Amino acid sequence: MNRLTVTMLLVACLGGSLLILTAMALAGVWHLPGNNQGYEPVQPIAFSHHLHAGEMGIQCLYCHHGAEVSRNAGIPAAETCLNCHRFVTGRLALMRKEDEVAQKEKRKPEPVVSAELKKLYDALAVDDKMSPDPQRAKPIEWVRVHDLPDFVFFDHHAHVQAGVTCQQCHGSVETMERVRQESSLSMGWCVNCHREANQKGVNGKRVRASTDCATCHF
Amino acid sequence: MEESKSRKAGRPVPSEAAVEGLVSLDRRRFLEASGFALFLSALGGCSRAPTRTVLSSPSGDEGAVAGLARYYASTCGGCPAGCGVLVKTRDGRPIKLEGNPDHALSQGGLCAVGQAEVLGLYDSQRLRKPVLDGQAVDWTRIDERVRRELAAAKSANRSAVLLTGTIHSPTTRAAIAALLARAPNARHVMYDPLSASAIAVSHEVTHGARTIPRYRFDRAEMIVSLGADFLGTWISPVEYTAGYRTRRIPAGNPPQMSCHVQIESRMSLTGSKADERWAVAPEALGGIVGSLAAALTELAGRKLDGRPAAAPVDDAKVKGLAERLWHARGKSLVVCDTQDVPTQVACNWINDVLEGYGQTLEIAPDSRQRSGDDAALADVLDQIDKGMIGVLVIAGVNPVYDLPNGQKLAERLRSDKAPLVVRLGTHADETAAAAQCVCPESHWLESWGDAEPVAGVLSLCQPTIPRLGSSRSLLECLLAWSHPTTPADFDPAAAAYHAVREHWRKEVFPRRPQEKMKLDALAFWEESLRVGAGALRATAAERKPVDDKLVQLAKLPAAAESDSLSLVLYPKVGLLDGRPADNPWLQELPDPVTKAVWDNYACLSPDTAQRLGVRQDDLVRITAGEASIELPVLIQPGQHDRVVAVALGYGRIGTDRFAQVGPQWIEARPSVGPNGLVGVDAAPLLRLENGLRHYARADVRIEAAGGSRRLATTQQHHSLSVPEHLATPGTEHRPIVQQTTLTAYRHDSHAGAEHHHEFEGQLWPDDHPYTGHRWAMVIDLNQCTGCSACVIACQAENNVPVVGRDEVLRSREMHWMRIDRYFDESRAGVTALHQPMMCQHCANAPCENVCPVLATVHSAEGLNQQVYNRCVGTRYCANNCPYKVRRFNWFEYSRREQLENAALNPDITVRSRGVMEKCSFCVQRIQSTTLAARQRGETLADGAVKTACQQSCPAGAILFGDLNDSKSAVAKAVAADRHFQVLSELNVRPSVSYLRVVRNCEEPSQEPRHV
Repeated sequence: MNRLTVTMLLVACLGGSLLILTAMALAGVWHLPGNNQGYEPVQPIAFSHHLHAGEMGIQCLYCHHGAEVSRNAGIPAAETCLNCHRFVTGRLALMRKEDEVAQKEKRKPEPVVSAELKKLYDALAVDDKMSPDPQRAKPIEWVRVHDLPDFVFFDHHAHVQAGVTCQQCHGSVETMERVRQESSLSMGWCVNCHREANQKGVNGKRVRASTDCATCHF
Repeated sequence: MEESKSRKAGRPVPSEAAVEGLVSLDRRRFLEASGFALFLSALGGCSRAPTRTVLSSPSGDEGAVAGLARYYASTCGGCPAGCGVLVKTRDGRPIKLEGNPDHALSQGGLCAVGQAEVLGLYDSQRLRKPVLDGQAVDWTRIDERVRRELAAAKSANRSAVLLTGTIHSPTTRAAIAALLARAPNARHVMYDPLSASAIAVSHEVTHGARTIPRYRFDRAEMIVSLGADFLGTWISPVEYTAGYRTRRIPAGNPPQMSCHVQIESRMSLTGSKADERWAVAPEALGGIVGSLAAALTELAGRKLDGRPAAAPVDDAKVKGLAERLWHARGKSLVVCDTQDVPTQVACNWINDVLEGYGQTLEIAPDSRQRSGDDAALADVLDQIDKGMIGVLVIAGVNPVYDLPNGQKLAERLRSDKAPLVVRLGTHADETAAAAQCVCPESHWLESWGDAEPVAGVLSLCQPTIPRLGSSRSLLECLLAWSHPTTPADFDPAAAAYHAVREHWRKEVFPRRPQEKMKLDALAFWEESLRVGAGALRATAAERKPVDDKLVQLAKLPAAAESDSLSLVLYPKVGLLDGRPADNPWLQELPDPVTKAVWDNYACLSPDTAQRLGVRQDDLVRITAGEASIELPVLIQPGQHDRVVAVALGYGRIGTDRFAQVGPQWIEARPSVGPNGLVGVDAAPLLRLENGLRHYARADVRIEAAGGSRRLATTQQHHSLSVPEHLATPGTEHRPIVQQTTLTAYRHDSHAGAEHHHEFEGQLWPDDHPYTGHRWAMVIDLNQCTGCSACVIACQAENNVPVVGRDEVLRSREMHWMRIDRYFDESRAGVTALHQPMMCQHCANAPCENVCPVLATVHSAEGLNQQVYNRCVGTRYCANNCPYKVRRFNWFEYSRREQLENAALNPDITVRSRGVMEKCSFCVQRIQSTTLAARQRGETLADGAVKTACQQSCPAGAILFGDLNDSKSAVAKAVAADRHFQVLSELNVRPSVSYLRVVRNCEEPSQEPRHV
């Protein structure tokens, strides 16, 4: 390559990147490195928060009970799912239909297991009676959606106690089929909320939301 | 190849000049490069952070919540002192040990060795699988072999011996007794690498019981210690410190406090704390004890046979000491750490005359913390020599390393007359190398057990993690061997659990104290497990006077009249007998007195060094008998002129692993010495004579060996004093540590205060109103012994890295907390003041206003916050800090040992290269405690927040709390008369302050020296 080609290539890069940047910033796609707003990864099991938290109305804290007492909200142990899914093994309509057919044909109904729940049962290595085998059970590798850098220590328990609702940070998860990072989770976003909370309180309650660095960084 | 390629392309081979040209860019190349960089950053904005998965546990462990710590009460196995601990676990693994405040002996304190035990758990070089004749085998094979050998050891010619360190676990003792009952020619022998056998033997003479008394420093007003380093390394330092501290606060009207006289040959931690310190040659101790006894005969109207050898100290001085002891009788205590029985017998007589038995020292309940028997050990060694032992099980101790003739013993154990040697240990150490059968021993954090360090004071030991290898504890081995065959489903952990529980139900439960009478057996067990410690009903012993005829003053050893040097071998606070030598935290812990790390050395007094013509760091050869070692010299003020002192516990096999510790960069030098190990083994210089091991000997030669080895000492690092030629006028004299005498303090409670120009007004208005809490710390220097437990506690809590010897030599140690030592010379002898120094969290912090990126700022609660993610590493803050407490990450301190990372505190950032760090006042603890109180709807109680250093302090010298709460302990301490701030003339207004030292001696001293 001669000198001219190199220079032209570099100028093209410069111009191109400026163009791309402007276009992306206008479209709202571009964000600072590390900002994962809008992240919506595919999970190993297509668990629907819309169905569970939305339609069924299960409380967030039923599964993420750590949020009330600990820094981490926690991912529920797979056994927690069995509380219901010991009995509900597939879609209700399909299960009912199989029951009817079985009654007509005068046989025992075949178990109806949905493809997604099968992954859960496999992970837990359940037997016929739906009790898991702790020796063979394997943890499910969920993909982390809300992931803060390692130098940030966010405390769920402090926020839940202060009366901040889950949706204020996580968006309306109960409407999401697949969980998406709704907020930017950037420091500016945190600090703005803390400042507002100090002025206006949280849901009418007066709070002391510290904006000291050591609140989150230590 | 490379060269020909570039030639073909018609380009010159890059020369050095061309490479340099790349660095000095012209304008055009700069623009090209910046355009490319912008393009890359635009692309970077599109990228996602790497996908991270998060695992959910398949089954929900009841009560286990991710991110919440759980605490389990247990007993420290770091040494046989048996302190109570609370094990902090996160997500099923221990990450920190805290002292158990409910334990009767340790009372919430924990020493440096105990604090470092959690790192030892995650040591990747711990043994994992049993080995028999060089091959990894199953435990069943080992069990079969041991059982066969035990059964064969029926005749007196082929006996079986279980050789262990001190065991005070009642369940293990019972299991040993049960096993011995089945094997008629088997016996159990205990020995301590740091022996106190002479004390036990002397009590057999005077009291008819081979026992070590429980010393009650909490009841002693007049303490005379003859060579006993009871605050540092002697028998049970945490327990003794907890007792000692109670009498070190000048209280009452007129103020009273205990008086402590230390008579010793080297400079020990205890000696550095004494009110009065006499430096004497080690062989002079017998003469001094004799003179003391003789002086007391007159005072007490008793009569002793013979005349003592002349003591090499002023007779009037000894008489004066005897009078002071007699005056405080009933509240006086004489302790002596010499392996000479007649001296110890005389010491017992003195304590008896002083009415100490039952008061300041107790025979019942007695101490079991050093139950070793040197005579029995000598007998076993003799039998090994004669080939009379069939099977030798060695657990815990490391005789090939500990004993004077270790190499000879190793040869014996490998010879054909040798017994089957079964080694139960944690590492492939010296003894393991001489054993056919090497079995991995579980860490105490992995196993069930119990402890009774002092008769009637019991505690439990429980596993806090599934074991990391196929290991067993001694108790589990004993239980397995007591079966005729190992059952197929033998679960060692379950067996140990049942044994402990059964023993407690049968033996401990019936003797439970009055207040627990209402509990049934199950409730008692659960309560004991929860609290971790308990005391049984004590039976007071009758006082039995010591017969005057037992003391023969003429038999006491006399000081040799010669100019030759005596050798004193001593344990260091961090490494003790060398058992924790694999622990890098302890290797890098500055010795409380010498401040040296990663080495042992020959301590010489300044005059002796001058006489020998050697200087600090020069190598000397010490020869005693046939053994000889080469060590660098360390000049130690306060040491007797005729003494050379060398630390034991160094030169351990396995410390070669530390060659690679610390950052490996182009100028890195290994942390090990020329022998490839850390330090030099001094154990060959020990003597085992007449059934006692001796740690001092007179017949040593010392000569310059030529060459030198630079010792890494931290004393001159981060010094607060300014060289005189650099000081601004008026600041040449910087009073840093303050002290006074009790006499002066009685006269004026502000005595010892330094007066200097006070600033009036501030340069700028106070912008920190501190409306909520205002955190502050007060350290009582009178209680601080300098034991350095806080340094390791801080390291464990705050993920402080180990940097290695070479980096320490470059003043780059990372400890957030250091202990400054100031020698103090007066007519009462050379002593030292210890001043813990960490970030002072100044209200007018000089570091804050020089940071260009606001990475260090003030919090609303008075903390000086360090924000790692903002820091760009200018180091301006460290330069501007008058206390020199900031530490810079010169490297990405790689944590190569993956397993060790399990000990990291998940609540603290692991700092990366180029970032400044320093004490944070344990802000993570402040936050979690504040939140917990808020959740319970309570206001934060005073003392609820405990920093890591404060929690661990055996002396309770550190107070932490809210200055805005006028009732808090810290606010009261700030208002106290002894209160002072370091460098207060700078008007930086530190949140950390100190309480002045008050010495119970007559002589006011000169200004303490920082040397």
